Amino acid sequence: MRKRRFWYWIGLTSLPAGAILLAASDSLARVPAIETLFWLMLVALVAELFLVRYPLRHGYTDLGIWMSVSTPIVIATIVLYGWEAGVWMDAVITLVAGLANTLFRSTYPRWAFLNTVQSILSAFCAGMAVAGVDWLIAYESAWRYVLATGAALGAYHLVNSILISTNIALFEGVQWGWAIRQNLSAFPQEAMVMLLFSLIVGPLVKTFGVSGLVMALAPYLTLRQAFMLWTRQHDLYHQTIRSLGFLVQKAHPYTGGHLQRVAQWARKVAQHLGLPPERCELVYEAALLHDLGKTVLDERILNKPGRLTPSEWKQIKRHPQLGAEILSGTPFLVPVVPWIAYHHERPDGKGYPYGLKGDQIPLEARIIAVVDAFDAMIGGETPSQQRTYRKALSISEALHELRRGAGTQFDPTVVSVFEAVVGEWQREQQRLQGGVKR
Amino acid sequence: MSSFWLTIAIVAFCMGALGYYAFVVLPNQFHRWRCQSLRAFARAVELRTQGRFGSADLLAPLVNEVALRLGLPLQERRRLELAVYLRDIGMVGIPYAVLNKPTSLTPIERLTLDRHAELSAAIAEQIPGLWQVAPLVRQHHVVYAEQPEAPLAAHLLSALDNLLVHIQQGYTPEQWCEEAGARYHPQVVATVRAVCRERPLAESLPLHRSAALWL
Repeated sequence: MRKRRFWYWIGLTSLPAGAILLAASDSLARVPAIETLFWLMLVALVAELFLVRYPLRHGYTDLGIWMSVSTPIVIATIVLYGWEAGVWMDAVITLVAGLANTLFRSTYPRWAFLNTVQSILSAFCAGMAVAGVDWLIAYESAWRYVLATGAALGAYHLVNSILISTNIALFEGVQWGWAIRQNLSAFPQEAMVMLLFSLIVGPLVKTFGVSGLVMALAPYLTLRQAFMLWTRQHDLYHQTIRSLGFLVQKAHPYTGGHLQRVAQWARKVAQHLGLPPERCELVYEAALLHDLGKTVLDERILNKPGRLTPSEWKQIKRHPQLGAEILSGTPFLVPVVPWIAYHHERPDGKGYPYGLKGDQIPLEARIIAVVDAFDAMIGGETPSQQRTYRKALSISEALHELRRGAGTQFDPTVVSVFEAVVGEWQREQQRLQGGVKR
Repeated sequence: MSSFWLTIAIVAFCMGALGYYAFVVLPNQFHRWRCQSLRAFARAVELRTQGRFGSADLLAPLVNEVALRLGLPLQERRRLELAVYLRDIGMVGIPYAVLNKPTSLTPIERLTLDRHAELSAAIAEQIPGLWQVAPLVRQHHVVYAEQPEAPLAAHLLSALDNLLVHIQQGYTPEQWCEEAGARYHPQVVATVRAVCRERPLAESLPLHRSAALWL
């Protein structure tokens, strides 16, 4: 199905791209300074080959895009030598770099082809934006150049984002709106840096010819550095969440597999409840960290095999509050703080630590509460993952317990959605294991 | 202005702006992110040890100010700030009973507790991009009389960590400079004295804000 969708999409986009390429080849021969253009293309190709990975805020999936710093060179070419030169340059470098990636990064050749088609369409729209500026400001001036570069970059990025988002939506199964928001969210910062580089490359090449390219090396490396730092910031976010997860495991070994399972279940339930993808990812992250407060507690209480005394139980009940306190000092983790603080609240108001009721409890916290209770009831697969104080239940027994608590202990909507998720998972397991039940 | 010079001016401006953004703004932003993420770990450890909550947040600006006055370069000051948040992370491996023992520790418990600097450094070594901070973390309890050859940054961290503990026990910075300060690097102690003379340190530190959590 996906493959067929892919070929429909390629067919739809490659028709106009092919027509544009043909139209451009007519006037390509008339482009002056063909030697400079060749060198520009070579530099752009090198830039295209050294891609920087730019994750789309996901650390747990393969979603993400590979960004190149060749775009400003293409933009400068369009502004200096016209859209025909820019379209051909972008097509050639994207195709060659894409094919090289099939060898070095094991990507599929069809992706190289699709990227090439997208580059042609984006470069053409950038060219049209430049033509628009030319129509507005007919005389040659430095400001015309600045405006044309800005317009070209804006048009290129917008069209490219729309096409990439459509790809991700079609082939990765995420919502188109979310993908485009992710693509455009970094735009102002990214555009400013790319615009600066385009404004450097163009005049240098125009004034000094090929040697101007050598002078552009320093700003090129600077641009790359900027991209690398952005990428590292994103990686740091995921590293922090993973490391905090390890910290919880260290404090309470039982929680190791439990956290992973709860996080995966919680994400699935959030998806089934129709939450937006970025919210689902946050639910995953919150579920992974929901027991962070336990790192603060006395390990003798956490690992006590028998029943807890009232004072020990009072200590345990502090863990949602403590987890929230730990994360509240880290601004980029603040959105998950209330979900962690309220994950032991109950719709009937008998939960802890605040005794909130019904809708006072955020939906995300209600999701975590249900999947946390379910996983605690069924326990892990190895003895170290079983709770020391209670015998594990079977899946159907645990679901029965959830149903029994729906409306009082658990949110009934979340419970019914979770039952559907578990049912789906069981069917999938049976299919994979050839009908053998767990 | 001729077109040529206007072009040169635009190129020079763009190069300057790009360079400033990539080499000043972004690394600063990245450093802030890193400190904020390490803050979560520091808080987890501080909450585990009674009376320590918020100590990294108090220590970080103080360390930065003293380091600035001592003329330490930007890179070293950044390393120091990261070390402030990482220095006690090894406490996660120390039993709760030892960390919060109300009476004095036995020699074995003392040895166990003293392992935290080594544990913290070992954890820092495992985190990509933070291994450079590990030596500072390892030496964050260094005493000048015993190891005068240790880097100034380590002496600074050790002295200020000790100063904070003393302030939390009711000492004034001046008292610390007179008594405990003798064990630490004289240059650091002199700078702390100068900082305290300019503004009353103890008044500006909200030392008891963690109390509510332990009631």
